[in-house]
Amino acid sequence: MRFLMLHRIDEAATFERADDPGVPGSVAEQAMEAWVSEMEGTGVKKYGGHLRPSGEAVTVRVRDGQVLVSDGPFAETKEQIAGFDLLECAGRDAAVEVAARHPTARIGTFELRPLVRP
Amino acid sequence: MRYLMLVCVAEDLQLSDAESAEMDQATMAWVAEMEGRGVRVTGDALRSVSDATTVRRRGGEVLISDGPFAETKEQIGGFDILECTDLDEAIEVAAKHPVARIGTLELRPFWLDDGDH
Repeated sequence: MRFLMLHRIDEAATFERADDPGVPGSVAEQAMEAWVSEMEGTGVKKYGGHLRPSGEAVTVRVRDGQVLVSDGPFAETKEQIAGFDLLECAGRDAAVEVAARHPTARIGTFELRPLVRP
Repeated sequence: MRYLMLVCVAEDLQLSDAESAEMDQATMAWVAEMEGRGVRVTGDALRSVSDATTVRRRGGEVLISDGPFAETKEQIGGFDILECTDLDEAIEVAAKHPVARIGTLELRPFWLDDGDH
């Protein structure tokens, strides 16, 4: 079963150095690398990346043949999507376990979305 | 440059059978065109947000809840990974997607986990 795991983080929040995976050598960065290599090794993580800040997001709509482009994400929520992973898991419980072990689970929220195609 | 394209539609949007068949066909044509151009790396449709699960860990405790993280009118219904030369090309590709007519496409540049930062 495939899941898209969305990483949600409050971009305005400041984290302890140990909790900030963006700080090279921090505990969080090391935990993140360990998570990625474990999940790639077991074949759970198929693909993933971290997104540039939501300020660089662009939304696109077409209405009456006119292309409307605007800056910023589509949803003005406090927590924004900061990363994503495509997971292959036995089911929801396995996906929850994988998400809970990701270091970002301590400071952000994961949204697990099963794909239509199994 | 890689972009995550989030395909967002109002969950309560009602399409007729004919409209929905037309959207499916137009989406397949978009996928075939963008894969042919080498722009679309991968992508998929997501199940409804009623199947979403949110997970967080606070103080060593794992908190699980049903439903999407944000109660917004438009929800993410699918995603595509695009490889484009620049933002202009990504916008052109997004504008050609049939959902652009009924929903919103959010383009987010990203770094691959195993790529250079």
